[in-house]
Amino acid sequence: MRIFLLECKKVILSPVLIGLFLLFTGFNFLVIFNSSDHRAELKMVNEIIDTYGREITPSSLQQFQDDIQNDLLKLQQLTGKRYDSVNDFLEDLDVEEYERYSKQEQAFLSGLQVKEMYESIASSIDENYEEIDIEKEGEVALEQYQLSGKAAETYLAENEKFTKRFDEMIRNGEHKQWFFAGKAYYMHTLLFKDLFSKMTIEILLLVILSTTFLATYEFEQRTHLVAFATQRGRRLMNNKLVASLVMAFVITGLVLGSTLGVFFLVFDYSHVWETSVSSAFNWEYNFPYVSWWDLSFAQFLLGVIGVLFVSVLLISALTFSISLFIKNSYVSFFVTAASFILLYMLPSFMPHSSNWLFVAGYTVPTLVMAIPGLFMGSSGLIFFRNFEWATICSWTAITMGVLMMTYRRFVKSDIQ
Amino acid sequence: MIVVKDVSKQYGDFTALEDISLEFSNGLYGLLAPNGAGKTTLIKMLATLISPSSGEIQYNGENIIAMDQRYRELLGFLPQQFGFYKNYSPAQYLLYLAALKGIPKQQARLKIDELLAKVALSDVKHKKMKKFSGGMIQRVGIAQALLNDPKILILDEPTAGLDPKERARFRHLLTDLARERLVIISTHIVSDIESIANEIIMIKNKRLLYKDSVEQICDTLHNAVYETTVDFGQLDEFRKRHVLLSEKQEYGKMIVRFIHKGEKKDGWIPVQPQLEDVFLYEYQDEMIEGL
Repeated sequence: MRIFLLECKKVILSPVLIGLFLLFTGFNFLVIFNSSDHRAELKMVNEIIDTYGREITPSSLQQFQDDIQNDLLKLQQLTGKRYDSVNDFLEDLDVEEYERYSKQEQAFLSGLQVKEMYESIASSIDENYEEIDIEKEGEVALEQYQLSGKAAETYLAENEKFTKRFDEMIRNGEHKQWFFAGKAYYMHTLLFKDLFSKMTIEILLLVILSTTFLATYEFEQRTHLVAFATQRGRRLMNNKLVASLVMAFVITGLVLGSTLGVFFLVFDYSHVWETSVSSAFNWEYNFPYVSWWDLSFAQFLLGVIGVLFVSVLLISALTFSISLFIKNSYVSFFVTAASFILLYMLPSFMPHSSNWLFVAGYTVPTLVMAIPGLFMGSSGLIFFRNFEWATICSWTAITMGVLMMTYRRFVKSDIQ
Repeated sequence: MIVVKDVSKQYGDFTALEDISLEFSNGLYGLLAPNGAGKTTLIKMLATLISPSSGEIQYNGENIIAMDQRYRELLGFLPQQFGFYKNYSPAQYLLYLAALKGIPKQQARLKIDELLAKVALSDVKHKKMKKFSGGMIQRVGIAQALLNDPKILILDEPTAGLDPKERARFRHLLTDLARERLVIISTHIVSDIESIANEIIMIKNKRLLYKDSVEQICDTLHNAVYETTVDFGQLDEFRKRHVLLSEKQEYGKMIVRFIHKGEKKDGWIPVQPQLEDVFLYEYQDEMIEGL
């Protein structure tokens, strides 16, 4: 335990790692604050859920529409003219005229505008989802990704499973739950693509640096001859491995904790934690986010965080193996980074007619870089239902094998 | 007791040590050879840092590699290049190494204070080592080797960087330590061990040359070491014909100390051979190559 703590101390006191952590965290805060223009409007969803419940039922939607009509009557009292939509009124209004209204009236106008937007989306859910033909989407994907032969067969077979899941999702009404309007605010993209992608890269940089730093520390400080001739001997590497993994966990926790903490302070998600991540409102681009399982936003977020933690630990362990082999932190860092990029690019070297195309995507780099689409049936070539657990299980086995091999080699190797 | 049995070390085609057999019991052993002779290879094998390509090293009849931690807990080791953590103080660094040596924290603190006093570093025990001189670093190295009160103490070039006063102090320390334990000092500086070693081990061409007391090794040059006076003009010619051990100028002439294994000539005064004479004689080729 003492050795483990002393090893951790080396990372904790590293000025480079502390500096990078502060820099990355500051950068993440900047991204959050720069994207916070709509934070006041986002609160409307909380009000809607408070008033009409999380699920969109015909009666709750009717109630919502009635209330909007009442608001339009208030607008009539305010403007002296009847409008079918607040947008009609706002279209004819210039800035000077708008400024003549009190702050309270302005808030009423913009609130009504947001309500109308949500009502419009809610009213057209059935219509929009009826237009979705998953089988046809599959055919389009074959052309888009130029799949043929076995690869096309595998893709269509999985797509068929997804069709069933899509129908089940419709039957469950998972899509009929209030969430932030995707096409207006892109909150899923902001959180899971912009922020998580940045955090993932930052975490990986910090973890790879800290792992190579710890694994090669004795060799780089030239203390290896003293350290490995002590009673602990080469078993010191066991303590270093555990310290590396724990530090990887702590770094991941700190980066995620600080950034997500600020994110959820800035953006009020208090009422949407239990909303399904497959909500029709969570539709930002050509296709809505549809998860393989009935996941709430909170479950999805926890799932993503869990996958990230496991992936980071696997990458830390693999980096440790590489460092044990190379014994130089800079070279180990670049070899790890190059291996990461190579594995991420692996599918692009595969024939589009073979199942190897998909197998090559079952890698940890692909897994961590695919965070916005995790657990989703709408995430391109990695849309497979088993993608996350199969990747994690196979790479856990690979990592343990590589670790054992490099450790055994190290134990038997000469220390010069 | 440590027994080195027919140990060889190969690195591909390069032979670092060949067929070395030695026995060590308590006492002080000086491993003497010029740089590159294979001393460090043997020392690293004794510290379990490298394994023999053939043969084995035993401690009390057990292979030291198989003994693993049980062997290393008896070991104190100072390598030739003693690395240290630049941003640590001696106290912090020794505490870390004490943890690696399995010494409880409280016990380690007391031992560290005692050892830092012994190597005259108590005043700077909390100062960062990056500001230390080479001699101070070497003294930290000596302290760390003694942390676990080892039964086997192996020191590779321990006096490097020490000034004459520190060397003398260090020799006294070693003499005390060797009373109850096995101490092996690897060096190429004869004066470091000549007066304190129970036995000297000399390695030549990767093989064992001598393992004997200083007196017996010196006896190999009995009646072969002389001193004589030579004119400056004859000095070059004299150098070509004899193995010169030392030269000193006195009253306009040169007094030379040399080795001659043939018939004695007039004017040559036989002198008592010293360990340095044997060293210079045995390694004359390596030294010329090294120049």
